[in-house]
Amino acid sequence: MRSNRMGWALLAPTLAILAVVGFLPFLYVLYVGLFDWNPFSNQLGMQWAAVNNYRRLVFDGAFLDSLWRTGLFAFVSVSLELSLGFLLAQTLVKNFPGRTVFRTLYVLPLVMAPIAVGATWRLLTIPGFGPVPYFLDKWFGIDYRLGTFADQAFLTVVLMDVWHWTPFVTLTLLAGLTAMPKEPLEQAQVDGANRWQVFRYLTIPMMMPVLLTVIFIRLMDALRVVDEVFMLTSGGPGTATQFIGIHIYRAVVPKTDYGYGSAMSLLVLYFTIVLCWLLFIALAQVGKQRE
Amino acid sequence: MFKHKLTVMLGILVLFSMVLSGCAAAVPAAQPAAPAAEGEASWWKTASQSASCEGVTIRGISESTPPSNFARETLAPAFQAETGITVELETTSWDEMYNKAINDMQAGTGIYDFVYIEQDIIYQYLANNYLVNLTQLLADNPNLASPDFDFAKFTSFIDNFKDADGNIYGVPMEAFVKIYLYRLDLFNDPAIQEAFAAEYGYDLAPATTHQQYQDNATFFTQYGADNGLELWGTTVQGNTGHASSFYEFFESIAPTFGVYNWGINSENWKATVENGGGMNSDAAKEALAFWVGLLQYAPPEATQSTWDEVAASFAAGRAAQGWVYGENAAWIATDPDRSKVVGNVGVALPPVSEGVMEAAADGSGYIGYYDGGSFGLPVSSKNQQCTLLWLEYIGQESVQADWAVAGSRIVMESTYDDPKVQEVDAKTDNYYTLMKSEGPLFRGAPPFPFHSALREVVQPFIWKALSGELTAADALDQAAAAADAELVNLGYGQ
Amino acid sequence: MKSSVMRNALGWVGLYGLWTTMIVVTIIPIYWMIVVSARSRVELFDAPTLLINSFYAPNYLKPLTDPIFQRYLVNSLVIATSNALLVTALALLATYALSRWRLPGADNIFFWTITQRMAPPAAFVLPIFLIYTRVFKIGDWTLFDTQLGLILLYCVFNLPFAVWLMKGIMDGIPVELDEAAFVDGAGRWTVLARVVIPLVAPGLAITFILSWIFAWNEYLFAANLTSVNARTITTGLAAFVSVTGTNWGEMAAVATLAILPALIFLVFVQRYIVTGLTFGAVKE
Repeated sequence: MRSNRMGWALLAPTLAILAVVGFLPFLYVLYVGLFDWNPFSNQLGMQWAAVNNYRRLVFDGAFLDSLWRTGLFAFVSVSLELSLGFLLAQTLVKNFPGRTVFRTLYVLPLVMAPIAVGATWRLLTIPGFGPVPYFLDKWFGIDYRLGTFADQAFLTVVLMDVWHWTPFVTLTLLAGLTAMPKEPLEQAQVDGANRWQVFRYLTIPMMMPVLLTVIFIRLMDALRVVDEVFMLTSGGPGTATQFIGIHIYRAVVPKTDYGYGSAMSLLVLYFTIVLCWLLFIALAQVGKQRE
Repeated sequence: MFKHKLTVMLGILVLFSMVLSGCAAAVPAAQPAAPAAEGEASWWKTASQSASCEGVTIRGISESTPPSNFARETLAPAFQAETGITVELETTSWDEMYNKAINDMQAGTGIYDFVYIEQDIIYQYLANNYLVNLTQLLADNPNLASPDFDFAKFTSFIDNFKDADGNIYGVPMEAFVKIYLYRLDLFNDPAIQEAFAAEYGYDLAPATTHQQYQDNATFFTQYGADNGLELWGTTVQGNTGHASSFYEFFESIAPTFGVYNWGINSENWKATVENGGGMNSDAAKEALAFWVGLLQYAPPEATQSTWDEVAASFAAGRAAQGWVYGENAAWIATDPDRSKVVGNVGVALPPVSEGVMEAAADGSGYIGYYDGGSFGLPVSSKNQQCTLLWLEYIGQESVQADWAVAGSRIVMESTYDDPKVQEVDAKTDNYYTLMKSEGPLFRGAPPFPFHSALREVVQPFIWKALSGELTAADALDQAAAAADAELVNLGYGQ
Repeated sequence: MKSSVMRNALGWVGLYGLWTTMIVVTIIPIYWMIVVSARSRVELFDAPTLLINSFYAPNYLKPLTDPIFQRYLVNSLVIATSNALLVTALALLATYALSRWRLPGADNIFFWTITQRMAPPAAFVLPIFLIYTRVFKIGDWTLFDTQLGLILLYCVFNLPFAVWLMKGIMDGIPVELDEAAFVDGAGRWTVLARVVIPLVAPGLAITFILSWIFAWNEYLFAANLTSVNARTITTGLAAFVSVTGTNWGEMAAVATLAILPALIFLVFVQRYIVTGLTFGAVKE
């Protein structure tokens, strides 16, 4: 039989890089999370705290609030992206005049840096020179101020994420739809199934692996969003858009609360992994059923 | 077919980068501003050689501001021409600057040979022994002590960078006061004056009391609405997600109500009234209510405004009066490329509660924020002697005037008398004169070693007060309680 | 009959209506950025209009003629391109290994690889900073502020994605093809080069593109792990948020310049995206 040695050899560079720039820092964060360490506190240096940081987290209202907000944000934006993306992908399967132009223009946000996305949306929404507050006020009489109204800020951040990432979802789903075998669908139509039935009983099940993959990827990234939100609202008003990534950033960077911040990141990382593991299992399950 | 395309594309990318690097090389470096006098070997050259600094590169980090950019673009090349020492000054955003400087000094890596130290962070740095004692370093290296450099020439602002024994840890490079700006064209308009007097029963003038400030704000907001102008009564630095709103409240607004040092009792490190602090005192609550109340007379971008946007709003002519950082006064008043209110900017002391001006005069209080920064030398620097030369170079009297004109900052008494500065002074309604004569009424941030940690804990409550989620009184009650808890957590006032 | 014509017409109207709306919504923020980039500072607060009345060139000229900005641009190009090449090559080898050998624990390795991307980034800045400045240190040289440092680091974010994408595609290529080539006497590398690579080419392309875009766009680590020499264009954006009245016009100009290369790139390659993005999840 073939020896495994060459397999490992091919895998080795990948594992080595990930170990050094991925796993090593993880170990360090794990270590720091067991200490009380703020260089600007009255006790200099690291003080052994065992699991005290984790115990504090459970009672930290601001942290739990932020977790809840992040979950809500991820759920709402990923659902919107998925529904809109599916709809758009379906319209793109068949060729029609102008399809390539539409598709090309439509994926533009995909190449933008998150920080540039945040800056762009900030330019759009600053009262006084952005068009959004101006026209909302002129046409609908809506007083739109991101810095004042928490609901508007949250909604805008969700819309920004949808704007930025629906193109990616659309393209991935389109790739899936394009690769899907055509015969069962045509057969079903011959058999007199209506569109909804075809969609519900054929398209969705066949697309399940792709859907789960997209959910997995988008969820993973939505849960750690920082750059664009920070640029747009800095987490405000108050803490209305302070998602967990920003919350941790504030704890670790301006507050230099290294120990507590590390513990916080690990807990969040753990939650994310568990969530994604469940999706991964579901994905594997669907794959097995297929075979 | 496919591979071919990919190769072509990669080729284009590589080509693109090569062309760009070509451009980069073709553009000549900035010309040195002041070449050394011919003939005599300059003192700087000799000193640089004696410390074998020629050819050395030193690196610093600062916020991207006009004073820092002047140091990078003008002073650094001039210094290089004199000494052969290359200065790389990295200028970046405020948050990023602190993050990187602290990471470097905390880890002792020695990336930065000099760092920007804002007046309010110095106590954090000193408590951690991040900085080199410059007084000592000069004394230890008499051959590197320039005859043109003397700590005594600086204004009293340099006292902010001293330890308890009077040793100096930073060479001041910028200083200004957060000042009350108002629109001369509006305040001096006879028709407006008449309308104001008719409505309020007294003459329109720059505010000296909070009630008067509010009357002005109300009046001009109404005036703007009546005349279809994009004009409001006041600016508010009220960003509901950024530290700038915390600073405006605690360093500029609260002191005018007689609440000093963020309302923290420095004897026992407590913030709540029941523990002897003042963060949730009646005066503080009145101050916050006043300030949050100003939002209705401020342009709608106020709750998204940091110090940057406040200056931009005022320069765009969108506010009749406001608290604005003095570093902006000069460009708002004089630069037609950036400002619509050139020539119409009045400068005055901010309005205060009763007794506060007297307290400021006798030194027991203050009426606003005296801000600025210096360049300091981290202990971790590997080029301390060469960096010392650079710090002395920027601390010469001869470079100050141009720097003041470029960045509206003044750190030496003598700079006030320079003709170039006086020319700008005349155009800015005597901002510099006011800073010189009334500067002592203002003060920097309190000497807290836990500055940023505490700010992070308190500021969400200020943001929530600004967005209306909490009332002023609730916000300060909760903020003070949180501050007490965090101070204990940080090891203060157990 | 008539109703089906009606329905068809309605379908077309709906289709084009939907897409026109989507395009307008997609374009407006980008277009507005260009509008702002054409304005001088005194014009910023003029009443919002979607017309570009005048073009204030200094917003573009100033960064374009600034050697520092040019260096940022070159750094971004070098880092993004090298990282994308590295990631694509590594992912090819790794997924070939995962797909053709029955390695013990392969599933766990695969999932572990993906978890690398899940961590909230802020807390990892300090450890990576320490590793770069203290561990990778030869004399005065460290990984801090080098292009190599960022090229390696971005593998942490790009490799998980790349491995995932390529794994599905690799699994979709029948082992029988390899076997047939072996029977013909080809070696392992020949099989990889002659049989496998041509078949997974669209997947490699999409891996390259997405990695490139990510590396081009990353901000947090680029900001904290570079100082002067290896700074990238996204970090340059932050410098425009400055004290003396945020310089929105110039910032918008830089943002426009920053997306331009990525945009050109995308227009060239975007049709391969559709064929490559299946994650191998759909098997025919």
